[in-house]
Parts: sequence; C-alpha cells; structure tokens
Amino acid sequence: MTREKLGALEVRVWSGGSGAPLLYLHGFEQHPGDASFLNRLARHREVRAPEHPGFGESTALEENYDVIDVALHYRRLIESWRSAPVDVVGHSLGGMFAAELAAISPHLVRKLVLVDAYGLWLDDHPLPDPFALSPRDLERAKWCDPAKAPTPEPSAFEANGNAEALAIFRAQNLGTATKFMWPIPDRGLSRRLPYVKAPTLIVHGEADGLIPTGYADAFARSISEARVAIIRNAGHLPMVEAEDQFLAAVDQFLS
Amino acid sequence: MKFHWFAEVTYPHLPPDFRERYRSAWVTPPAHLIDPVKVGETYRMFIRLMQIADQVGFDGLTVNEHHQTVIAMTPSPNLLAASLATSTKNAAITIVGNSLALYNPPTRIAEEYAYIDCLSGGRLAAGFVLGTPMDSVFAYGMPPIEVRARFEEARQLILRAWSEPEPFIFNGKYNKLRYVNIWPRPIQKRIPIWVPGGGGSIETWDLVNQHDYCYGHLSFSGLYSSKPLVDAFWEYIDKKGGNLNPHRMAFTQIICLANTEAEAEKNYYEAVRYFHRNSAPGNFGNPPGYTTIRSLKASANQVSIGRNKLTPEDRIRASRGEMSFWEYDDKGYIIAGPPQRVRQRLRELITDLRIGQLIATPHMGNLAEEIAAENTRMFGYEVAPYLRDLWADQPDYWTPEASQKLVAANAPTARTDAGSRSTPSFEAKQAGK
Repeated sequence: MTREKLGALEVRVWSGGSGAPLLYLHGFEQHPGDASFLNRLARHREVRAPEHPGFGESTALEENYDVIDVALHYRRLIESWRSAPVDVVGHSLGGMFAAELAAISPHLVRKLVLVDAYGLWLDDHPLPDPFALSPRDLERAKWCDPAKAPTPEPSAFEANGNAEALAIFRAQNLGTATKFMWPIPDRGLSRRLPYVKAPTLIVHGEADGLIPTGYADAFARSISEARVAIIRNAGHLPMVEAEDQFLAAVDQFLS
Repeated sequence: MKFHWFAEVTYPHLPPDFRERYRSAWVTPPAHLIDPVKVGETYRMFIRLMQIADQVGFDGLTVNEHHQTVIAMTPSPNLLAASLATSTKNAAITIVGNSLALYNPPTRIAEEYAYIDCLSGGRLAAGFVLGTPMDSVFAYGMPPIEVRARFEEARQLILRAWSEPEPFIFNGKYNKLRYVNIWPRPIQKRIPIWVPGGGGSIETWDLVNQHDYCYGHLSFSGLYSSKPLVDAFWEYIDKKGGNLNPHRMAFTQIICLANTEAEAEKNYYEAVRYFHRNSAPGNFGNPPGYTTIRSLKASANQVSIGRNKLTPEDRIRASRGEMSFWEYDDKGYIIAGPPQRVRQRLRELITDLRIGQLIATPHMGNLAEEIAAENTRMFGYEVAPYLRDLWADQPDYWTPEASQKLVAANAPTARTDAGSRSTPSFEAKQAGK
C-alpha cells in the first residue's frame, strides 16, 4: 500500500491491475489489506482501494465533518484519477459512503455495487449495535460460519500478529466509524438515495447478522435502477466468506 | 487537607441474582426492577446523611451524574445539589460533575451552576466531566469520537457565559448562539473547577494542567488499582512544570468505621459486596473512540505496573463479590476498622498518592442508614480532625472560599485526651441553628 496526498489529507491506498477503473471502499472494521478478492478484482481492472480518513494510516478529516465531507473527499479522489466515470464498490460503512458519493456526484459513477451496506434504518428491523457486541457475538453476527472464518482475517494485515498493535488499530478504526454509525447508522442517506443515477447491484450475504437481507430490498426500492444479488453461505463479508460467488456476481454486473 | 462526603445513590433492593440475570448494571437494566416509592426514600436518606456530614465538619458534599444505572440514580446531580444548598450550612457543594458534552446548549449548565452558587451562598465547586462511556455514549447516544471536542467547546462557552459582562455571540462547531447572556451569574468570581477522570486520559491531564483545575481520580478500587495512574499524573504534571499542590488532586475511598474490626465486618461486608457485585458495566465499558489512541498507547505502559499487589484475577473476584471483607481491605478497595486504624491507613494513602481532597465514601451498596450515619459521625469526629495537619502548609484554591471559612470556624478538632468525642455539642449546636 502506498501513501498519497489528497487535498490536505494523506491517504493510504491499495492499488492493483490495469483496465477499467474501480474504486473499492472498505467496511467499518478495517481496510481488507492485500486481500485475495481485491487481487482478483484487479485482474482485468485498475482497482484503487483507499483507507478511509481517520482509519489506519490515513489522516483524519477536521473534527466536525460529516458523511457529505467524506463523499466530497472521494469525489476529489476520483477527479484526481482522471478516469471518471469509475465503477464504485462499497462494503458495509463503505457502502454508505459509496451511495452518498453516487447521489451527490452522479457524473463520476458509472456503475455502483453496494455490499452489505449501512446507511438505512428500518424501525421494524432494528440492527444490532456492533460496538456493544461481545467479541464472540460479533463473530457470530458477521460470519455465516464463524468456525470457518479466516484467522487471522486478511484485514488484520496491520498488526503483524502483535495483539496490542491490533487492538490499537481496531480502536482507531472503530472509533472513526462511530462518527457515522453511532448510535444509529442513519445519517440521512434515505433522503438522498433517489438521486443515485448509476445502475446499482445490491450484494448481500444471506446470513449477515449485522444487517439482515431486508435492508438489501430497502436499498433496491429507493434506487431507480437496482437489483439484488443474495450470496449464499455468507454473512457480512461475502467477499471473504464466499469469494467466488461474490466475484461472479460483481463481474457479471460490471461487464 | 479536605474531606468530602460522597456516595453513589445506589438502589438498595435489587434481587440477589441481579448480577447473574442481567448482563449489565448500566444502560440496559430493566427499570421495572425498581420501585419509585423506594427510590424516593433512598433520595431522602442521602439528603439526611449529607446533612449529618455538614454538621460534623466535612469540607464538601459531593454529588455526581450518572444515567440508566442501578448503582447511581442521579441523572441530574444539580437537583440533589439544590436540595443541599438550602438544607446545609457550611460544607462546599462539590458537583463532580456535569457531563458537558451532553447538553444542548451547554449554557444550561452555566445557568444551573450559577443558580446553585447563588442559593448556597458561594459554596459551589463546579465539576466538568466527560461522563463514563455508559453515560455519555450509550445512554445519551453521543458518538464516542465526538465527546471530547464537544466537552471542550462547552467548557469554553460556560466559562465565557459566567464571566462576560455583556451579551455575546458564540459561533462554535456544535453550538451556535446569537445571544449568550445567562441569568443569574455565580457569586464566586472564580468558581473552583474540578475535572474528575480516572481512565488516565492524557488529554484530561493536559487540560487540568493548563488551567490549574482540580483533577479527580474517581474509582472505587483503591490504592493499588489507582497508584500507577495517579503517580503517572503527578510525574506528568511535574515534567510539564505544573502545580504540584496536593489540593488539586481528589480521590475516592470507601470507608467502613466501627468500634472494632469484628463490628466493621458485621456492619459493612454485605453492603461492600452488594456495591461491587452490582456495578459491572457489561459490554458498555470500553467503546472504541472514547479513549484517544495517544492515551491508549500511554496506558498500555501503565497497566502492568502495580500488578504484584492487585492482579487481574483480584479485580475479577472483587467485582464478583467473592473477596472476604478483609481481602477487600487488604487490596485497598475499602479502609475498615476502628478510627485509629482508619486514620493510619488514610494517612499512608493520602501521603502516598499526594491527595489534598479526600472524597470519603461512608455509604455503599445497600448499607442501612443508621450505620452510614454513625460512619459519617465517626469520620467527622474521630478521623478527619486527626489528619488535618496533612498539607497544612499548602494553600487550597480548589475548595470555595466561603465554605472553607465556615467549616474552619465550625468543624470538630482533634481531642488531646483519650476521652469522648472532641466537641460533643457541635452537632447539636449545628442542628439547632
């Protein structure tokens, strides 16, 4: 991963491949690192996967920023790339950011993929509080089969096996995520989803215990050109737990 | 040396299996467990106990803010403080404190503190706190990563609201106010400010150092648990060239006074266990973002210190109520026994940690009122007067001037013979005033 200047910020970015441009925005826990699915996405594309402001080694935005500031940050990143429009894949919290970006900068987004995305709230289907789950309950909620979950997760790249470093890395990432997800991960996206013009694929792990599949339908209802792909045998991270199915669905949609 | 009376206003009638049945004493314990009539009785008991504390020479009556917990039913400490302002005469009213980030606009805190200062004749010590994670981020829904910035903005707004003579405009990041002009204003021109912590946040140390506030290490786990952090605080202040006056450090300690050690165990053991068993925060104690990365890294170096006297296993047993009464004493959670022993142990604690404001806690858990009352009296007559020599050469700028004068004129003094209480008529005299 490399560091780049973007406006006043420093951004750490994973880059790979060449071809059609694709921006990948990671989830609320951490950047996936040099994950297998990113490498495979980059076989026929130019993929850039930045670490969000305030996560890991990307510097933070000014303290009272909001989700629109993050969307503008990614608008700037795409503009600096000089390849717009680009495809955007956003996972979890990154899905919230991707949808906001597509709503306020429709000219920059060719196709949009939202993977187990946060951003909506359904009173009849309240989401669990990911910050108050015990580590064990969090594992159960995010994996379809916790016993088969990769250990360490590919996304633990930062810590090099050092438990204390991993704890601090997690505290920083999750602390930053609270800005958008605490206490309810609804920052008004439902009002802005109708502005999304890009054809959209809603990918959702069938067994996501953090965001049930009803949310995939809710996203699809609010976006004019959207369809849903449910990934079997996967929870909140289908790109890790069911990598082949995930990539097949995404490749088919983007090609 | 100053002594403040404090206790968490704990609901005393929880079922014996509360800890096993409910995952947390904070945020989510079902409210149907408590009877509002008994809550009212509990509130009145605490007011009576603090009236006794005022009569027997305590320097301050301390109240605090917690939400949605069985262990401390004081969502607005200002309400209790207002009761005390009119029903006590001498002691400071030390509010430790209001959670600055939670009120919109925070001028409400400036107003209520000013009201209490006016009502009490200038006896207010004003506490500014971030609030525990259970309070500020779970019960009140503040994103953890915003708490400190909101606290800081509120602090600046409150100080200006007290001091600016004319209406002013405040364009903050979180608070936009066109006309700030609070009524009333406090009596004290310089209200003592206390910033209790306990988690060892370096940002809080910087704040108290920069503004010469009173820091408070508020925990109920005693000397060995706190010593690494308190020592680190003083080292930090020293390194920064700050004020090392012990009166800018407050510390809480549970006290269990009785005529004999056997009587102490009989009177307090159940209440000490009740308090510790029923105060667990469950999964709500350590959310990401509440502590900065800088402080996390610093505290990682401190946790290993002091483990020889208080191991992680000790902490778990203490919180489960599995220690014997004298283990709680030995490990520092409580200081128990006859006055002579309590004096000696407190002298060591106060000297070791360099504390000028001892927040003594003579009530805990489901302790009966008469035992807490006697504990309070014994402390006032037979402990505090014998420790007044500590730090007597250092000025105290962190207790209100008005209460310092009143308490100095009225508090019991150490007796010179071995007879009865030093000023036996004092309490009656005070009560009859």
